[in-house]
Amino acid sequence: MFTTVLVANRGEVALRIARTCRELGLRTVAVYSTADRDSAVVRFADRAVRIGPPQARGSYLHVPSVIEAAIATGAEAVHPGYGFLSEDPDFAEICEANGLTFIGPPPRVIEQLGDKAMARTLMAGAGLPVLPGSTGALATPGDAKETAQRVGYPVILKAVAGGGGRGMAVVRSEEGLLPAYHSTRAHARAVFGDERVYLERFIEDARHIEVQVVCDRHGAAVHLGERDCSVQRRHQKLIEESPAPNLPQELRERMCQAAVRGALAVGYVGAATFEFVLTPDHRFYLMEVNCRLQVEHPVTEMVTGIDLVREQITVAAGRPLSFRQDEVRPRGVAVECRVNAEDPARGFAPTPGLLTEFVPPGGPFVRVDTHAYPGWLVGPDYDSLLAKTVVWAPDRAQALARMDRALSEFRIDGPAVRTTGAFLREALARPEFRAGTHTTGLVARMTEEPVATGR
Amino acid sequence: MTVGVDKKTHQENGRKSVTLINPHAFPGSAEASRADLEAVCRAVRELAGLSPQLPTRIRLQHGRTSVEIDWPVTEGPQPPVRPSTGQAAAAPDDEPESGLRYVCAPMVGTFYQAPEPGSPPFVSVGDLVRPGQTVGILEVMKMMSTIEAEVAGRVVEVLVPNGTSVEYQQRLITVAPATEG
Repeated sequence: MFTTVLVANRGEVALRIARTCRELGLRTVAVYSTADRDSAVVRFADRAVRIGPPQARGSYLHVPSVIEAAIATGAEAVHPGYGFLSEDPDFAEICEANGLTFIGPPPRVIEQLGDKAMARTLMAGAGLPVLPGSTGALATPGDAKETAQRVGYPVILKAVAGGGGRGMAVVRSEEGLLPAYHSTRAHARAVFGDERVYLERFIEDARHIEVQVVCDRHGAAVHLGERDCSVQRRHQKLIEESPAPNLPQELRERMCQAAVRGALAVGYVGAATFEFVLTPDHRFYLMEVNCRLQVEHPVTEMVTGIDLVREQITVAAGRPLSFRQDEVRPRGVAVECRVNAEDPARGFAPTPGLLTEFVPPGGPFVRVDTHAYPGWLVGPDYDSLLAKTVVWAPDRAQALARMDRALSEFRIDGPAVRTTGAFLREALARPEFRAGTHTTGLVARMTEEPVATGR
Repeated sequence: MTVGVDKKTHQENGRKSVTLINPHAFPGSAEASRADLEAVCRAVRELAGLSPQLPTRIRLQHGRTSVEIDWPVTEGPQPPVRPSTGQAAAAPDDEPESGLRYVCAPMVGTFYQAPEPGSPPFVSVGDLVRPGQTVGILEVMKMMSTIEAEVAGRVVEVLVPNGTSVEYQQRLITVAPATEG
C-alpha cells in the first residue's frame, strides 16, 4: 500500500478523494493553481504544492508540474479525479515512467476507450450493442452523407476525442448534415486537438443509463448497478439517481452484464462507467466508456455502501476487490442534484463571484460534496459545479421529498452568484420526473417555458 | 590601455560620493577617446560594486574624464528605494513599497544556482544583473531551463538553497532594481 497520494485535481472532487485517503491513513498532497490558494483541499491536505497559474493549461493540465510536485513530496500514487488529466493516456504513462502509480486503468486501455470511434468497434467486438453508425471516424463529407443515409435521420455527430457530453451535434435532416459536420470538426479541433468525428443514429426520447463497474488486477470485474442520468441540459447532467426508475430487473441485469463483459474484454483495472442509451422500446446501446471516477459516483456509493475511491486506491495498490458480485446488494434510492453557479434565467450563464453566504443542508441521509464555504471566490477559470447534494431514502418518493427538503435548506448567496437550486426543485416537481417516465428531453421542454430565477 | 584614477571619497548633504579624475586624459583622437571612455565605464562598474547599495546618481564627464557616483547615506543594510517605473510586467510577488523585485520560479521544479555541480553560481549577492541574464536553472522532469532576470539591478539575496524543490512563482532571488533618471 502507498503512504502518500497526490490528488491531481481541484474543487469538490479533490477534497472528496483526500478525505478517503485520510480514512485509509494515507498522507495527501494537494496541487493548486494561484486561483485556488485558499481552497478547501489546500487546507485539508497534509501538503499543498502550488503548481501554476489559474489557466488549467499551466497548472492542472500541466503534466511536468504535477509530476514534479509528486516526486518532490515523495508521493507514490496519483489520483487524477475526473476531468483534467484523468483520461490522458500520456499522463498515465508518464506517471508510471516516473515510478508513480496512476490510480486508474492502464494507459493502453485509456487510449483505446478514449478514442470513441475505436471504443465503439472494440465494444461491438465484445458483443455489446452499439448504435448503427460509422465504422471508425468519418473520412470525408461524402462518407458522412452516405452513413447518415444508411442509418437514417436523426443522427448525432460526435468528436472521436470527445466525451463527457461535449463536442456533439444532433442533425435531423440531410440539409443540416454538412454544416454540422464542418462545425463539429472545427469545434473538436479547437477543444480536443483532434478534428475527427464519427456518426451514430440519434434516439429521440431516450433515457441515459450508465453502469458502474470496478475491476482489480486479478481478473475480477464487478458491477455496482446503474445510474439514471436522463435529466440533462445540452448533454450535461443535472440530476442522477440509482437505481433507474421503472427499469425491468431482467433488462437491468442484461445491461450490467454487458458492462462487465466490456470491461473484461479490454483488461480494465479500476473504476469504469459504461454509458448506455435506452430507447422507449427498451433496447439499449453503448454510447461510451468513461475511464475515471464519475461526478455522480456518490449515488452508487449511497445505495451500495461501497466507497468507490477507496476501491480505486486499493485496486491500484494491487489488492483484490474487497467484495464479490453477490456481496453487492444495492438498497433504497439515492438521488444527486448538481447545484451549479449558473443563472437559469440567463440561459444558464456561469455566475462567478464571492460567496457571502454558504450554508449546505443537513439532516438525515443527506450528503453534500462541496469545496465551497462563505468567503470562497467562485472563479471564472473552472467549471461551475458548487455542490453535489445527495440524499438516500428507502424508496423513491421519500428520496425525492428529502431532496426537495434539502435543496430548500441550501443557502447560497453572493453579490453576483446565482445557482441552479430553484431550477432543480422545479425539475424534481415535474410530473414525468416524479413518475420516472422522463427522458433526456425533459430539461429542453422546461426551458422552453419561463423559469424561476435561481437565487 | 589603462586609466589611472585618483579616487576621492567625500560625504556631504546626506549623500556619499566617489569622484574619479583621470589626470592623463586629454582631448585627442576619436579612437583614444573611445578607448578612454570604455576604460572609464569599466572603472564605473567596479566602483559601483563597492557598495551593496545601488548608486542614486552617476555623473560622467568625458574631456579630462571625471566620474561622480553618489550613494545615499542610510543606516542599516537596506538599499535605496525608488519605485520602479519600468514597463516590465511586475511579478505578482513584487513589493512596490520596498521597491524590491523578485526572480520567481516559472514552474514547479528543482532550482540550481550554478550551471553544474562545483561550478560558481550564476549570480551572488552584490552582483549586477541585466534583463535576460541567466540567474539560475530550473529542472522540471529532467529538463533544464534557464531562469532569467527580468529587471536590471543588484542581487540583494539568494532566497533558495542550491538543489531545492520550488513551487510555481516561489521567490528565488531578491533584486534591488537599478534606479532610473
